[in-house]
This record gives sequence, structure tokens and C-alpha cells, in this order.
Amino acid sequence: MSSIPHAIVVDHLCKRYGDVVAVKDVSFTVRAGEVFAFLGPNGAGKTTTVEIIETIRRPTSGTASVLGMDVATHKSDIVRRIGVLPQGFVSFDRLTVRETLRYYARLFGNRTHADIDALMDLTDLRPKADAQFKTLSGGLKQRVGIAAALVNDPEIVFLDEPTTGLDPHARREVWEVLRGLKRRGKTVFLTTHYMEEAEVLADTVAIISKGRIVAVDSPDRLSEAHGDRLRLTIQSPGAAARDLVVRMGYHPTPRNDGSLCVAVETADDVRAILEEFHLAGFPAPVGLDVRKPNLEEVFLKLTGEPLAEIATSPADRRAQ
Amino acid sequence: MSPRIVLATLGVRIRSLYRERSAMFFTFAFPIILVLVFGSIFIRPERLNFDLPVQDNSQSEASARLIEALGTDHVFKVISVPLDTDPKVYAHEHRFALLLVIPKNFQGLHNQRAVKRDAQAWAPVTYIYDPSSTSVDNRILLVRAIMAAVNQRYSGTTAFITLVPDSILSGTYRFIEFFVPGIIAMAIMTSALSNALNSNAELRQKGILRKLAATPITRTDWLAASILYQIILAVVSTVSILLVSHLVYNVRLHIDLMLPVIIVVEVMAFVGIGMLLTPLAREAESASAVANAFLFPMMFLSGTFFPVEMMPQFLQVVARFLPLYYVNEALRAAMIFADSGAVLRSGGVVAAFAAVVFVGGAIQTRWGSEEA
Repeated sequence: MSSIPHAIVVDHLCKRYGDVVAVKDVSFTVRAGEVFAFLGPNGAGKTTTVEIIETIRRPTSGTASVLGMDVATHKSDIVRRIGVLPQGFVSFDRLTVRETLRYYARLFGNRTHADIDALMDLTDLRPKADAQFKTLSGGLKQRVGIAAALVNDPEIVFLDEPTTGLDPHARREVWEVLRGLKRRGKTVFLTTHYMEEAEVLADTVAIISKGRIVAVDSPDRLSEAHGDRLRLTIQSPGAAARDLVVRMGYHPTPRNDGSLCVAVETADDVRAILEEFHLAGFPAPVGLDVRKPNLEEVFLKLTGEPLAEIATSPADRRAQ
Repeated sequence: MSPRIVLATLGVRIRSLYRERSAMFFTFAFPIILVLVFGSIFIRPERLNFDLPVQDNSQSEASARLIEALGTDHVFKVISVPLDTDPKVYAHEHRFALLLVIPKNFQGLHNQRAVKRDAQAWAPVTYIYDPSSTSVDNRILLVRAIMAAVNQRYSGTTAFITLVPDSILSGTYRFIEFFVPGIIAMAIMTSALSNALNSNAELRQKGILRKLAATPITRTDWLAASILYQIILAVVSTVSILLVSHLVYNVRLHIDLMLPVIIVVEVMAFVGIGMLLTPLAREAESASAVANAFLFPMMFLSGTFFPVEMMPQFLQVVARFLPLYYVNEALRAAMIFADSGAVLRSGGVVAAFAAVVFVGGAIQTRWGSEEA
């Protein structure tokens, strides 16, 4: 694997459906062994791009190569060396987990039962080995999909929104499986609209919006480069507190839940604001949060559109 | 094409069907139920029979002989109508479409004709009938035929013309023998067309085809597995229909190599139509509606349940454009007449049709995520 510096090279890729341009001049590279996250809202062109790289869609123009092979000319060679979890994975309802994995393994010519058992251990599916697919929960189905993507011991694993629609607990279980893949040295290409997922799992994040890539870097560097300010959030401070902050020369952003959110330069600003609150006789804030800028803010700044709300919903935060 | 992949896929399809009870029922049990139901309907006239109520006001030796004549050949089962009732009211109340009334002086009239040789003597036997009954005309004809034979005996001479039966078929064939090949053709058509349509629509809608597109299985592997699967279903269905109709109705049909060939050609034809119709059934839910819109007219107009010759002329012309008509013709030619020339003529039409729709359907079947 070390002989191939780039697992994936995408060069000026375009995909057009009639008048609609789904992917506009997209270029990026994925290093072997890294977890690469494609972050963007629904409809940004994530799936179209990844399906072109997986060889199941054809580009209108531009090229993509996987493990040094062009997707347009080496489909059968490429599919043997990659594993794919398609978006919203489903399989044959009436097959058991074991039968499902055995079937996908046979498509690749791999028939050993030991491999199937090892896969079920990796994805923690052994207790459900003889359950029919239709009886499984959403999280288990996704894990079957991930296991099915690994039956040929692929060098690159593509996971298209692996945790969409899962509850926070099931999502964390899937993340554990993905961390296991990384430890085994797999290159993982992840598409997601959950900022947190990219932040937690990815070595490199590409932010895609309206068919274009707007930034590619590590999550930390993206935050440093584009989200340069601290963010102070005070819960339920009241209108008087808001006016005070405005008089101090800050620009608070309104929040739906009534909290006050202020972008500040340094920790000294935070101290100054709290002192002014104290001098004005306001009670000590019930909830206070100071955080470094995260990908969500970077995303908002770069694209002007929010990601899906679900990743930052209160229920989700509580579950962390 | 990879035999390993085709066989693995075939195994998945068969296992899925085996675990889906309602699909099993409609594929295998439904045609058998049709054979049993229609068999029991059509087989009746060949043994017994119609109920024939008779009010015998004469209660004499002569009237008893007439009633006996009515009961021979097992066409009619004579039912005695009480003498003190109004026969019209009786027929109406008991829903009899046809009822005979023998007059009180029947024995006297009989004596006048048969003993005293009075050629002018005649006996009025009244038939009370319900003109709204669909079968009453046939029953009246049967009564007339029996009466003609009785009159012949009264004339005291031997009937001059005597009908001698001689079937064009080698064995003795009843309607059920004609019906069973039609049911086989229908069962294969229904299973091949709706399975191709349903499974394509369902697998596409669910995204299973998208997953498969990123594995080494090719469209050719998938189609080969589908065809093999349909052929296996068709063979199991045919064998079970033949077995049940033999065990229950003692149906014996001619079976040779022509039968499997026709089955394979029919499967290809209707899987091809199913693939061509798939774009109309974007959702799995609408697939069965699309399939039925196609299957039902075909079933009724192609001579499955009744001979095409019974239909009006213009529908007979329509039938000539339906592939199932030629399947029916080919199967009956093979299984009843053992006429290989006729099998080749009808089977050739089906084969040519199958080649066109199957290739068209295969080309049009999309694979992976690519749009049409």
C-alpha cells in the first residue's frame, strides 16, 4: 500500500443530469490509510461523487482513479479491491445475517466460514448471526452493511452516510466499528452530513456545498483557519443582559432557545463580560459555555448554510 | 458470466421465496386451486347431471317407464314433485329452471296409441321453464332428445339413423384435459411476469441493485440467475399441476421433450415483458397493478378458461395478437394431440416473440445507479 501514495485521486470531476449540475469541477486526493470525510448537507453532491469513484456512476467529464486505476476503464478490477456501504443500505429481507455475508463473500469468490465469523465479531453481529435481515434494527442493519462491505478484505472502504437515521447510541456503536477499520490500516472514505462524525473520525475533511468543494484539510486546521474566534454561550440571560453585551461593543447572534451567543477574541473578553454582568447586578448565569470554533461554524462561514440540525440537537448532546 | 455468482444468486432467490409463505402460495397453490375448482365445475356434465323435477299425475306403468327413460344416461336426476302442488309455484319456490308435468290420463292415451294403434292419439307432457336461466335451453334440448327416442319406440320401428361416436383423439378426453394445459400456461405467465416486475421494482427501490453494482456480479449474471429461478418455479408449478390433476381427476396428458422447451420459451417471453414493463412500476407497490392490467385480459382472451372459438369474431382476431394464445395452442398441441408440427408453428411464434422482448428487456434493464 505504501507504494501508492494516493488511494484516490479525483481530478476536475463533473456530473450533469440534463440542466442540473450535481457535481461541479471537483478535485481532491485521499491518502492511503486515512479516514477521509466528505461533509455536506443533503443534496450537496456527496453521493453522486462517491458513486462515481465506486464505479457505479459515470462522470460527465473529469477523471477519478482508485488505487492507480481509472474508474472509467477498470471497473471490475476496482470493485474487487474496494468495499461499499451504499446510502440507506438494505439487503434481502429473508436472508439471515450469516447468509447475507456469505452471499456477498461468494460474489467475490471468498467462501471460508472463518472469515464470515471474524467479520461478525468485528461488527459485533455474532449474537444476531441467524436473525433474518428484516427483523434487525436500523443500527444492526447498518452494521450488516459495513460487514458486507468488508467481505473481500478491501483496501478502501466507502461508507455513504453510515449513521443517518440512527439514534445516538447506535451511531456511537457504528463509530466504534469505523475506528476499528482505521486501526487495521484501511483507507476509509466517509460521507456524512453530521459535523460531529467528521470531527470525531476523520483525518481529512472535505467540505462540499452545492456540488463544489469549498475546503479540504484536517478538522483542527479547518477550525483554526476559518473559525478563528471563541464562542461564548450564556443560557437564558434575559433582554437586559443582551443590551449590556451590545453596549460593550459585541455582536451577539440570536438563538432559538433564548440563549445568548457571542463571538469573542480571547478569554479576557469572556472575563470582561462576566464582570460587567456582576457589576450590573445580574445573577450568576445558570449555563455557561466557552468553546473553540468547530466544524459546524467553519461550515456555516464557508458555505453560508447550516448542516442538518440533528447532530447538534439537545438530545444528541445529552447522549455524549 | 460466472457460474459461481449465478448459483449463489439463484440460491438467495429460492431461499427468499421459500421463507415468504404468501409468495409460495400464489406461485404454487393458486393454480392448483384453480384446477380443482374448475375441474369440479366442468367435470359434472360428463357424469351426473341436472335435477329434473317431474310431477307424475298419471302414477301409472306408462308414466313410470317415461320417467325411467328420462333417468337413463345419467343426464337427469329425476325428482318427484308432490301431486297436490301447483307445479309453477313449486318450480319457482325450489328454484328449478325446468319442470315436467305428466298428464293424469297418460296411461289411457298410451293404451290408445300403443295397444289400439290409434295414430292420432298424442300425449301432452308440459315443460315449465324459467327463461332467465342460462342453461335451460340446453336442458330443454336434452329433454327433447330423450322424448324423440321415446317417440321412436312408440312408432314401433327401429331408428334409421344411428349416431356412432368416433373421437379424433387417441384417448378419451374430457374438458379437464383441455383445461390443464391452459392453467399451466397461465401459472407460468403469472409467475414469470409478476416476479420479474415485482422483484426488479423492489430490488431497485430498496437499493439492493446499487449495492450489487459495486460487487463483481454483472447484469448478465443477475439476468441468468433470474431466468434460472423462473424456470425452476415454472417446472415445479407444472409438475404439481400435472400431479394434482392426475391424482384428483385422473388426467393423463402426453408428456415429452416438447413440454420443457415450451416452458423455457414461455418463461423467457414473460420475463422479457416483465423487464420491459418495469419502468412503469417505479414503486414496488404499483408493480402488481401494472402486472394485473396486463395479465387479466391475456388470461381471458387467450383461451385459458374457454376455447377462443366461443368468443365473438373480433375478439378472436385480438387473441391472435396475444402471446399466451400461442403458448396455449403449443401446449395443447404437445400435450393433447402430440402434434409436433402444430407445436413448432405455435411455439415458433412464442420463441420469436420471446427473443424480441427478452433482448429488449435486458437492454433496457438498468444496473447500478445509472439513470435510463
